[in-house]
Amino acid sequence: MIQNRNNRTKTSIRTLQVMMAGLSLIILGRIFYLQIIEYDTYAALGEKNSVRQEYVDPARGLIYDRNGILIVDNEPIYTLTITPASFKKDNIPLLASLLEVQDSVITAKVKEAQEYSWNRTSRLFTEIDFETFSRVQENIWRLPGIGHQIESKRHYPTEMNASHIFGYLREANQEEYAKSNEILLGDKIGKSGLELIYESELRGDLGVKYLTVNALGQTLRAFEGEKMDQSPTRGDDIITTIDADLQILAEKLMKGKKGGLVAMNPKTGGILAMVSSPQYDLSRLAGRLDKDYWQKINADSTTPLYNRAISNRQPPGSTFKPLMGIIGLHMGYITPQTTIYNSGAYIRGRPYKDTAPVGTYDLEKAITFSSNTYFFSLMDDIATQGKLNEWSKLVKDFGLGVPNSIDLPYANSGIVPDSSYMNRAFGKNKWGIGDLLSFGIGQGLVSASPLQLAQMTSTIANGGYKISPHVVQAVRKADGSLERIQHQKPKIKWVKDDYLEEVKKGMRGVVVEGSGRFYVKNPTVSVAGKTGTAQNPHGRDHGWFTSFAPFDDPQIVVTVLIENGGYGSQSASPVAALIIEKYLTGEINRQRVYDYVINFKSRPTDSELLDE
Amino acid sequence: MNNLREFNWPVVFIWMALSMIGLVAIYSATLGPVSEFLPSHIQINFYKQIIAIVLSLIILIGIQFISPRNFVQLSYVLYALGLILMVLTLFFGTEVNGAKSWIRIGPANLQTSEIMKIATILATANYLTSRRDISAENIRYAIIAVLLILIPTVLVILQNDTGTALIFLSLIPVMLFWSGLPYGVSLFIISPAIIIYMTVIQWYLGLIAAFILSASIFFIQRRVWLTVTSFITGILSIAGVQLALTKILQKHQIARIAAFTDPSYDPMGAGWNVIQAKTALGSGGFYGKGFMQGTQTQLKFLPAQWTDFVICVVGEEFGFIGTTLIIFLFLFLFMRLLKMASNHKHPFAQLVTVSITTVFFIHFIINVGSASAMLPVIGLPLPFISYGGSAFLANTLMLSICLNMDFYKREFSIYR
Repeated sequence: MIQNRNNRTKTSIRTLQVMMAGLSLIILGRIFYLQIIEYDTYAALGEKNSVRQEYVDPARGLIYDRNGILIVDNEPIYTLTITPASFKKDNIPLLASLLEVQDSVITAKVKEAQEYSWNRTSRLFTEIDFETFSRVQENIWRLPGIGHQIESKRHYPTEMNASHIFGYLREANQEEYAKSNEILLGDKIGKSGLELIYESELRGDLGVKYLTVNALGQTLRAFEGEKMDQSPTRGDDIITTIDADLQILAEKLMKGKKGGLVAMNPKTGGILAMVSSPQYDLSRLAGRLDKDYWQKINADSTTPLYNRAISNRQPPGSTFKPLMGIIGLHMGYITPQTTIYNSGAYIRGRPYKDTAPVGTYDLEKAITFSSNTYFFSLMDDIATQGKLNEWSKLVKDFGLGVPNSIDLPYANSGIVPDSSYMNRAFGKNKWGIGDLLSFGIGQGLVSASPLQLAQMTSTIANGGYKISPHVVQAVRKADGSLERIQHQKPKIKWVKDDYLEEVKKGMRGVVVEGSGRFYVKNPTVSVAGKTGTAQNPHGRDHGWFTSFAPFDDPQIVVTVLIENGGYGSQSASPVAALIIEKYLTGEINRQRVYDYVINFKSRPTDSELLDE
Repeated sequence: MNNLREFNWPVVFIWMALSMIGLVAIYSATLGPVSEFLPSHIQINFYKQIIAIVLSLIILIGIQFISPRNFVQLSYVLYALGLILMVLTLFFGTEVNGAKSWIRIGPANLQTSEIMKIATILATANYLTSRRDISAENIRYAIIAVLLILIPTVLVILQNDTGTALIFLSLIPVMLFWSGLPYGVSLFIISPAIIIYMTVIQWYLGLIAAFILSASIFFIQRRVWLTVTSFITGILSIAGVQLALTKILQKHQIARIAAFTDPSYDPMGAGWNVIQAKTALGSGGFYGKGFMQGTQTQLKFLPAQWTDFVICVVGEEFGFIGTTLIIFLFLFLFMRLLKMASNHKHPFAQLVTVSITTVFFIHFIINVGSASAMLPVIGLPLPFISYGGSAFLANTLMLSICLNMDFYKREFSIYR
């Protein structure tokens, strides 16, 4: 019995030993698996757990005018933050008095933050002014749990608004966020103007900060003593061709009017000033989104977001006549000596009206007094000879009817019809010479933007070179190096100097003795230009004026479109004249014209005034 | 007094080593950089543990002046006193983490179930070895022995302490087995536990386990009815688990059970502990991240890192070297204790030593198994390492009893 019992004891001990050793070794194997074999997995998991990657926004690039004046920079937005876990409720009255708000406001905000997270930091008050911010900072030692965050927004230090040049920034949407690995959700990106076109230059490179966080989500300190952090690279600055003084004046002059203005250096294509009126207030779109304002400008019937200087297209009217002259000379249908008699109307099946005085006109005189008969006749020759497509091609060489390469978004191509266009518009062979005659005086289907007419005028003024309109002349990299943007400036081969001389003389005549003599003529500045009136079936006509000065050595081209302004000579030409005067002499001496322009308003109909 | 050279010094050395490792881990887990996020009553745990170790050392030495016969004589008295304490705890106890297991004695809180554990082992062992003819082969004796264990188990369950209840239950097969319960029947008793565990992982693993266990029972016992019963029990266990997991239990309860196999089932809830524990262990690698350098520990990603998940602290900061050291110290301890048991002539000493070894072993397996996601998180401390004064004192007391009976084994070798 005892022997039996001893045997059993031995077996039992053996069994237990094997069992315990076996299970312990299984445990050891499991630990070996986790710590040695799966080490890489869990090391990564552990790191992900405790290290939070935060992006540091780079400073957005600045924008300068052609003289080095800073026109767009960044401004800090001060935001107070709260970490509810460290915040003491007793401090609510103190915080309220520092921020000059009711206790209940703070209580509600604190509650909101607590509901988001007890341990994480959230925004308490955003966009507080610097004075209030400093007042809180002086007392920050009494306010545990309160922190701050400084973000930045666009700031426009000069008087100019230039909403259609600079453009606004908005938070990137889901789609843009998905496309780029540089954009984070909630980041603001350029949505129009230079901010959009030069987004990649202005943006800069994100910096990365690694932070150690605990299980509660609290940020503790920099990970690895900031060794792995990458500081952000600031965005490139862009240097524009804009002339700040001129732009400010142009905005002032265009106020109360609907339309577009482009001032350009005819030799380079650099935009000196560009206004689309009405504008919108860029500074109100700079910070956190002002929803009411955003909705207001989107719903506004005068469409302030629309860039009338480059996106709008209107029949160029008589401003098209100088180009017609050049084309006529080139095609050989006229010579400088060719004369055509104006009887008050051009008869081609029906009478086409001509308001120029009755008499005999050569090219120069036809431009100066804007005789329609001369150009109807010329267009008639072109159409009758079946040269519509050749004409169309020649017009396009001047930048009309083709996409414009300007570094701003949504430039309109305008329309310069050719036979295939006419077939599409009227149906195959359902159009005739009568439909083409009005092209000769820039009416009918021909249309162009103020920018395109400015480009056309530049080519006339600069001796036949097709310049590329542009706003930015150089980009200054973060390292200080300047990178000039090269623009092509090909000579249009078929354009002869004599052609240009002839039409330039005519344009000079416009100012000296034609429709420009009332507001544009100025003893100190020799301006040449052409007025135009675009027929508008919906209301008052649109007034055009395109011009260059000085006549002998053109330095500036100005094109103005005043929608519903009536005659170009009365609405558009005085604006252009003042811009030229300011640019070339540095001041405005003709107070009479200035006052006239300031008080001039667009009238959609005869009774209606454009709202401010 | 015997020759001190015969004292089992290696076991004392292991005890010492484990408690020192524990102190290092508790220091890191409560007074390291993590202390910033811990309330002050947790931060003093390190000092409370030192006091527990000092008191335990005094007990360990003090016990050696008692004759082992006293344990036999006092066993029923202790058992009765323990039951009274347990009942008192139910009414006047303090609740910690949902378990009402503590009773306030002066400045300290005593976990009464820890004392009851010792009393139950002593009393049951005394009963099973008091007469030569008592054997678990006889169903009447077996039932009385089971009752002696089940009564405190019920009280522990009433205290809402599942982990400790498991420890009590684990005593049943071991003690009955030791007292003559046939091998096959012993295996039959523990087979549902194995089958249920396998079923939770994968139901067909449960089925395989049921087949293997029934076959083993047949080969050991050669009794058809036992084999059939065991197989039916196995199938019922599988069905029960499946039913519980799909129909009866709520989602969060299932998550608690199933989290160890698939922590992504509820990553922020029940799975959180499992994910963080595995991450702590795994990211420690071979050498560890260094004392007080573990990010999981110091940034408070680990739950209960001074008690149930203390092994993860060691694993993260001292790596595979640290965990292996602990596992081998325990293995060494178990082997030493079993060796002691086999050297005893007195069945009481044998049974008590084996039972105590089993208690340590179950603690070890469940604790490390939970922390390494081999078992559901059950919440048992790691003996001598985890923070916890009552547990440390009780564990040392049990070890001291083993040492004492070993030291006096010659005088204690015959029936009284």
